Amino acid sequence: MTHRWGMAVDLDRCTGCSACVTACHAENNIPTVGPAEAATGRAMHWLRIERYVEGEFPDVQVKFRPVLCQQCDQAPCEPVCPTYASHHTDEGLNAQVYNRCFGTRYCANACFYNVRFFNFYNPVWDKPLHLQLNPDVSVREAGVMEKCTFCVQRINAGKIDAKAEQRELKDGELKPACVQTCTANALVFGDLNDPESAVSRLSRSARGSKLLEDMGAQPKITYLQKEVWHDSSNG
Amino acid sequence: MDRRNFIKVTAVTGASATLASCGSPELHLARFIPEEELIPGIATWKPSICPLCSAGCGMIVRVMQGEAEVVRNGEKGLIQMGLAKKLEGNPAHPVNQGKLCVRGQAAIQVTYHPDRITGPLKRSGERGAAQFQPISWDQALAELKSQLDTLASANDQKSVAFLTKPLRGQRHTLVSQFLSRFGAPAPIEFEALGDRVLRRANARSFGREQLPTVDLGRSRYVIAFGADFLGTWNSPVTQNIGYGEMRQGHPGIRAKFVQVEPRMSQTGANADEWVPVKPGTEGVLALGLAHVIIKSGLRPAGSSRAGAQIEGWSAGLVSYSPADVEKITGVKATRIERLAKEFAQTAPAVAIVGGAPLAHTNGMFTALAVNALNGLVGSVGQPGGILFTPNAVPAQPSPSIDKVAADLITAPKPPVQLLLLNDANPVFGTPPAWRVKEALSKIPFIVSFGHFIDETSALADLILPDHSFLESWVDHVPESGTTMTVASVAPPAMKPLHQTRSMPDVLLEVSRSLARPLTPTLPQSYEEMLQSAFGDDFSNAQQQGGRWSDSPQREAVPPVAAANQRAVAYTDPQFDGSAAEYPFHFVPFASLTLLDGSLAHLPWLQEMPDPISTAMWSSWVEINSQKAAEMGIVQGDLLEIASSQGTLRVPAIPSPAIAPDVIAMPFGQGHQTFTRFATGRGVNPISILAAKQEPETGSLAWAATRVKVTKVGSKSGPILFARGMELEHRPHR
Repeated sequence: MTHRWGMAVDLDRCTGCSACVTACHAENNIPTVGPAEAATGRAMHWLRIERYVEGEFPDVQVKFRPVLCQQCDQAPCEPVCPTYASHHTDEGLNAQVYNRCFGTRYCANACFYNVRFFNFYNPVWDKPLHLQLNPDVSVREAGVMEKCTFCVQRINAGKIDAKAEQRELKDGELKPACVQTCTANALVFGDLNDPESAVSRLSRSARGSKLLEDMGAQPKITYLQKEVWHDSSNG
Repeated sequence: MDRRNFIKVTAVTGASATLASCGSPELHLARFIPEEELIPGIATWKPSICPLCSAGCGMIVRVMQGEAEVVRNGEKGLIQMGLAKKLEGNPAHPVNQGKLCVRGQAAIQVTYHPDRITGPLKRSGERGAAQFQPISWDQALAELKSQLDTLASANDQKSVAFLTKPLRGQRHTLVSQFLSRFGAPAPIEFEALGDRVLRRANARSFGREQLPTVDLGRSRYVIAFGADFLGTWNSPVTQNIGYGEMRQGHPGIRAKFVQVEPRMSQTGANADEWVPVKPGTEGVLALGLAHVIIKSGLRPAGSSRAGAQIEGWSAGLVSYSPADVEKITGVKATRIERLAKEFAQTAPAVAIVGGAPLAHTNGMFTALAVNALNGLVGSVGQPGGILFTPNAVPAQPSPSIDKVAADLITAPKPPVQLLLLNDANPVFGTPPAWRVKEALSKIPFIVSFGHFIDETSALADLILPDHSFLESWVDHVPESGTTMTVASVAPPAMKPLHQTRSMPDVLLEVSRSLARPLTPTLPQSYEEMLQSAFGDDFSNAQQQGGRWSDSPQREAVPPVAAANQRAVAYTDPQFDGSAAEYPFHFVPFASLTLLDGSLAHLPWLQEMPDPISTAMWSSWVEINSQKAAEMGIVQGDLLEIASSQGTLRVPAIPSPAIAPDVIAMPFGQGHQTFTRFATGRGVNPISILAAKQEPETGSLAWAATRVKVTKVGSKSGPILFARGMELEHRPHR
């Protein structure tokens, strides 16, 4: 059976602790761009914590939402790519082939989740910071678009291991870096084609919704709404 | 020299010549022959312990073969070695259960930092100018030995001081033994944002001089007084795991969470209810809740033994009626009544205190008041309440740095002649009135073991750089975060990248070469010391990252209040500066990423958007948005923040999530010297703090300074916001 990778994000668990964001940098060789470039909006965070502040003092509510590539089934980034660098895999991932990409940035324009990042310069790791680089993930050069892959290197390694051991992948065995370190267990990853997987069960939750669902991109990340305490009259 | 020439040279000169030139032959060969257990492209996982805060989370390190450029004996060359590639939480470790926080994930950059000190250094310029020249380890150790010998021959062993970040486990034992056998006083521990007040209060209320383990996962009602327990306080990873459980871990049951603080923290942002309160009055609110609970007959006052620490407790806290408490705290009386009833009627319930409420002159009262409230609802030592990690070594008494500095400044002959400095940065982390830099400058000789040149180690005369945590034996005994008995230990995950040596082994080596040997003699090596501490378990423990009990342990002695302590009454918090001249409370807060500033050198953390402001790489000050509008301040305006101690210029972020009479600013930036990523970036709020103290512990009352705010410029633009947030509203470039 083909897999169909998806994620559930329980916003009632997420605390905005940001561990997922550094985990993603460390796993995926995402460079820091420095203060000058960051000031022009070029900092790269495949995964970011969005925060929404509602109300005026003293009745203020803040909500956090981790936003990463939504791995859409009808992804707006894919049909606009002239080189097929941005394409759909059999397992439903919106993949990016870095050495096909020549930097038209059409995909980033088309993506309304704002989760694609362009390398305006070659990445710099002041030596010996480069020794940390993960050999399983290619380093992207100037002129190339990059994005969350659901840690496809971990998915592939897991499949190879399972095959070598002549068994099926187990639910929960594969974890992208963000999911592995998520301190409050808000992020859950797995196979949406397995109706009994944890991610499938969470995705059917009554609290679930998709981000910008009415845009019709059919994202594979389900956000489970934060619950509200009902007896909160501010006496 | 490039790689080809390097290999040629080693081939021509032959093994014997190279071996003779650089110490132990085994070590030497290991650098040129790939490590046998490593297969290129295949990862192995090794245990370690996160060094970045006192929580002591267990790690597993992904190690893969790689090529590292190293310098040995002045020759540069590429070698094959096992390199740490990624840090994850150790799934078997009871504290963090496979998880790491935002800082722990970045800890690997400590090891690979481009500005790490790569070998021993001797001061070559003026003291404090941070000019050093490399020397050999033989010279460096001889220098340290001769300093110690000189003091020993003058019978002046007492004038050796060891100033360190908090040490736990065998590192603490070793340093203490070294000092006591030499004849020097115990180590001086320094933490800019320490928890001494809470430890002391817990000793009084519960007989435990340690931080609590909050059983959030089984709690149904949590009220936190200022504690940033999901971000920076105590054992954040454990607490986040528990938080997830209390929200969605039990079908049909979801705990309520109330946060009491004048500036909404990342933790407070997750609360169901945010209760802004006047700074320094949090303890009064806690007693207001207790008053209602006792008066409504929900619990008898006698059910809280910790209540004995509070004056007027047994009489039912008559002076803390909701109306009185409203006047002091600014929280409405009806709200106090409702919160009290919810708290008492939703069991198990727990109250947490930490951070700014304890950084006032009346911090001890606040901590004791919250402890008494916990006692009242029966949450002490119970599931869903406050627990204590069994067999945690109690905190050692240590003189506070302001006393040390005052003695140095007043004495005609400095009472410290030789300072050993281990990764503590009090020059950055103390208010100017304590004159720590001036005081330390009077010490004739300073030796630093730290990895980096910071404001304090810049004063050193000799630098003996320690290995990074990934390159050395590490051990730790967590003070909180688990109800199991835990002792963590792990071997080096990789070979040293630079010519550094582990601090414990340097102390041991020096101890053997002293003119008057220490008695009884210390172990031969730190590894040997750990081995004897762990006994038969050592082999297992070092493979899994430590040893721990199989199941949670009930403590042998139940937590009980200390007897014969004078009960404490509420006193108004004392602030530096009058309300007329300085209308704002200045409440700094620990940065989620940079903590107290000790992590400002890590680029991943500098480029991490703050979860509330989304700012990166910069300092900012948060001000109430309505107040800002009244003062004509918009986002990015440059403000001058003036206290009686000094002024700072910093851009504004108006926010609705802060009280109108408070401004808040993150700790962390404003380093004068701390690697290429932190030097000269932003401003340091500590530099305008007044030297107010909590009297019983002498801790800095870092939330007790008042300031005035003036707009001095518009749209200075030094705050950098994350993409997708504020930047979207800016005009297109």
